[in-house]
Amino acid sequence: MVRFVLSRALKAVLTVWIAITSTFFLLRLLPGDPTTLMVEGDMTPEMQAALLKTYGLDRPLWEQYVSYLRELVQGNLGISFRQIQPVTDIILDRLPWTLLLAGSAFVLTVAVGIPIGVTAAVNRGKWLDRALQGFGISANALFVPSVAILLLVFFGAQLGWFPIGGAIDPDTRGVGAYLSLAHHLVLPVLSLILVQLGPYALTLRTNMIEVLGEDYIRAAQARGLSARRRVWKHGLRNAILPALTLMGLQLGTLVGGAVLTETVFAYPGVGRLIYEAVGQQDYPVIQGAFIMLAVTVVVANALTDMLYAVLNPRIRL
Amino acid sequence: MKKTVKGRWRLAVALGVVATLGVSGCGLNEDNSSSSGSSDTVLRIGTTTDVSNFNPLQSLSKTDSWILNAMYPHLLRIDENAQKAPELAKEYRYEDDGKTAVFELRDDFKWTDGQPVVAEDVKFSAEKIMEYKLGNVAAKLTWVESIEAPDATTVKFKLSQPYAPFAEGVGFWMSIVPKHVFEKAGDLSKFPNDSNWVGAGPFVLDSMTKGQRYVMKRNEHYPLAPEGKAAVSQVEYRVYPDVNTMMLALRNGDIDLMGTPVPVSAAKTFENDSKIKLAKVGALGFAHLTYNMKNKYLADQEVRQALSMSVDTKAIIDAVLQGDGQQMAGPISPIFAEYDNTEIQPYPFDPAAAKAKLAAAGYKDANNDGFFDELSFGVACDQSNANITRVVQLFRESAAKAGIKLENECVERNTFLTRTKNGEYDIDASQWGVFDNPMDQLRSTYLSSNPGGINYNLLESAEMDTLINDAAGTTDPEAFKAKIKNLDKVVHEQAYLTPLYVENFQFAYNASKFTGFAPSPSDLLGMVTAYSLAQVTPVK
Repeated sequence: MVRFVLSRALKAVLTVWIAITSTFFLLRLLPGDPTTLMVEGDMTPEMQAALLKTYGLDRPLWEQYVSYLRELVQGNLGISFRQIQPVTDIILDRLPWTLLLAGSAFVLTVAVGIPIGVTAAVNRGKWLDRALQGFGISANALFVPSVAILLLVFFGAQLGWFPIGGAIDPDTRGVGAYLSLAHHLVLPVLSLILVQLGPYALTLRTNMIEVLGEDYIRAAQARGLSARRRVWKHGLRNAILPALTLMGLQLGTLVGGAVLTETVFAYPGVGRLIYEAVGQQDYPVIQGAFIMLAVTVVVANALTDMLYAVLNPRIRL
Repeated sequence: MKKTVKGRWRLAVALGVVATLGVSGCGLNEDNSSSSGSSDTVLRIGTTTDVSNFNPLQSLSKTDSWILNAMYPHLLRIDENAQKAPELAKEYRYEDDGKTAVFELRDDFKWTDGQPVVAEDVKFSAEKIMEYKLGNVAAKLTWVESIEAPDATTVKFKLSQPYAPFAEGVGFWMSIVPKHVFEKAGDLSKFPNDSNWVGAGPFVLDSMTKGQRYVMKRNEHYPLAPEGKAAVSQVEYRVYPDVNTMMLALRNGDIDLMGTPVPVSAAKTFENDSKIKLAKVGALGFAHLTYNMKNKYLADQEVRQALSMSVDTKAIIDAVLQGDGQQMAGPISPIFAEYDNTEIQPYPFDPAAAKAKLAAAGYKDANNDGFFDELSFGVACDQSNANITRVVQLFRESAAKAGIKLENECVERNTFLTRTKNGEYDIDASQWGVFDNPMDQLRSTYLSSNPGGINYNLLESAEMDTLINDAAGTTDPEAFKAKIKNLDKVVHEQAYLTPLYVENFQFAYNASKFTGFAPSPSDLLGMVTAYSLAQVTPVK
């Protein structure tokens, strides 16, 4: 068990290092530099050079990379070019919102996806199954911002049920604050779920159909177990394992989807921070945010793997 | 065994629940300590991004300036006619043959901590900008040798040489900060100024919930407001990165004014809404096609003139701006009426005549493909600017009729800006942002030394340098105007650029709740200048 955890952790560290390195160099391969976007009529070349020096961008690339890694190991993500603030503070300010948004969408996708997938598998070929397949395939084609703006127009502006953008009414206190938080969360979460749910439920359906044809299910039937027990207890436990891997992978998509969702819904998370930082070529913030996202996805996948091992008695550690 | 598996499942579910609760708990750990009431005199304004830098001497961002300009006074402001108007300065004059610029300040501006705004504050702000080369104002102070504050309301800038629009440029762009607060901060290039704000504008930041809103409280002493203080007790900026979401928020009553202009194509959506009104302002910049003089053929005046004759600016204004823009002739925007040379006329749109002109100049179409053999150019533009991208398309079609082959080279914004910076283009299609006066514009865009980095022609003309430097040192207002008008004419004749249009901006606000905005031209100023916010009154 210890060996498994250790090797998994080592792989995770390696993945994160690759992510850090490629982000670092890719950003610097982009045309222009942070001063390109600051050209406002009267910025002389001397001032631009002075700014580049302040940012440390006048040094050789490898030197910048080594000093970045050195700082990173000490937990220092650098100082934002535009905000003159430590990147760690900026990201930690935003991170809880993204975790809340992506986390809620994730939990709800799983909670709703499982019963839908199972029911469709059990009712294979019937209308519910066909409807799920139709929905699953069209959901794949959905574009998050379009879904988001449609939800906002209909449920926010037309019906007035939900607020237009934001994460919380800052004037609310106590229970009111939690209610306001939930109220603001509904539409962004819904837009993420709509896009995620189809593929998840479809995968579960396919696995379930396969499992329901297995000998041990027929044996359970022969032993006189009720259909409900056969499907939900014996079938699901096996069908869910491949879906677990998909869950880990989907978390990455969720976090990526958050960039667009957060922008449209004016949600103050890391996704929107990335959107803004890219527009300003604020390298330290983009790097910091990408590292944070990479770590989130890698950790989630490592946890999924470990959970897989715990839940699957066939894997002995 | 059965029990163990069950236990594992329970453990997994429990972990999930704990994680979710933990996360939602974290979610509330934001700074939401502000204590605003829901008073009906709160004016809510939509902005597109968070404040990135609270130091007004340093910030270069448009959206930052909306908030910072309401806090820190400027010597001069720009009124609805693009004229400089008094703000902190009552008046300004030149002495010593234009080598000293003198500002006389009002004596009734006060910082929110009760201290008066004095000449020393102005001197301190300018000196620190020069010392640390801060923001874009440092370049405006190039000519300053020393600054004096002989009394509390007089500031004298001693210049190395006369520069006609010095007072206008510095007066409009420079934020005045409280010396007694900022001098304690040490190195002002590293001062974030992100709390305990002391301002002297009509509103001062009080609290913020990053990513969501910025709350500004009224300064109880602002002499430019009709009642000695703004009628609105609080201004709240709310962040909507997506303009569509911001428009929905305005319709829904979540905000009362959009800080950012409504896109032309979306303005119609407010037509059926009786509450929402649109205020129209002009621009301080304009869209243009600029020709790279380093290109052998574009260096030929005949070719540039023929290109200018191949651009149907009227059709462009109709198609791209749905008729909502002004045509231009020379490089000076008609918004600067006193400098605009009305004697010059735009080149007539006549591709056939352009073609004949080029043929007469000796250009040949040897292979009979309908295009002159040498005249093939790339037109570079920023593809995120939908209007300009459309212009390039129309330009390409009309130039083809004149026998000039154009390639659309519209690319991603950073790539475009980098190519522009390095001179890697034949024709540059873009839009100038804000020029507060024609002299600064002509210096930045045509001087060989390229002081602002935006001489997109890469022009090196001794004649233009002489004309520009001569005008810049002219302190007699009438002679100065005549020299600018002459430059307008020279640039037009040379066809260094083809001006396309001056765009109008439309700002949407909830007229059933607020009235009295004093809009100024450009999307930098618009409805949200300090002066404008101080004039707003709630509808009773």
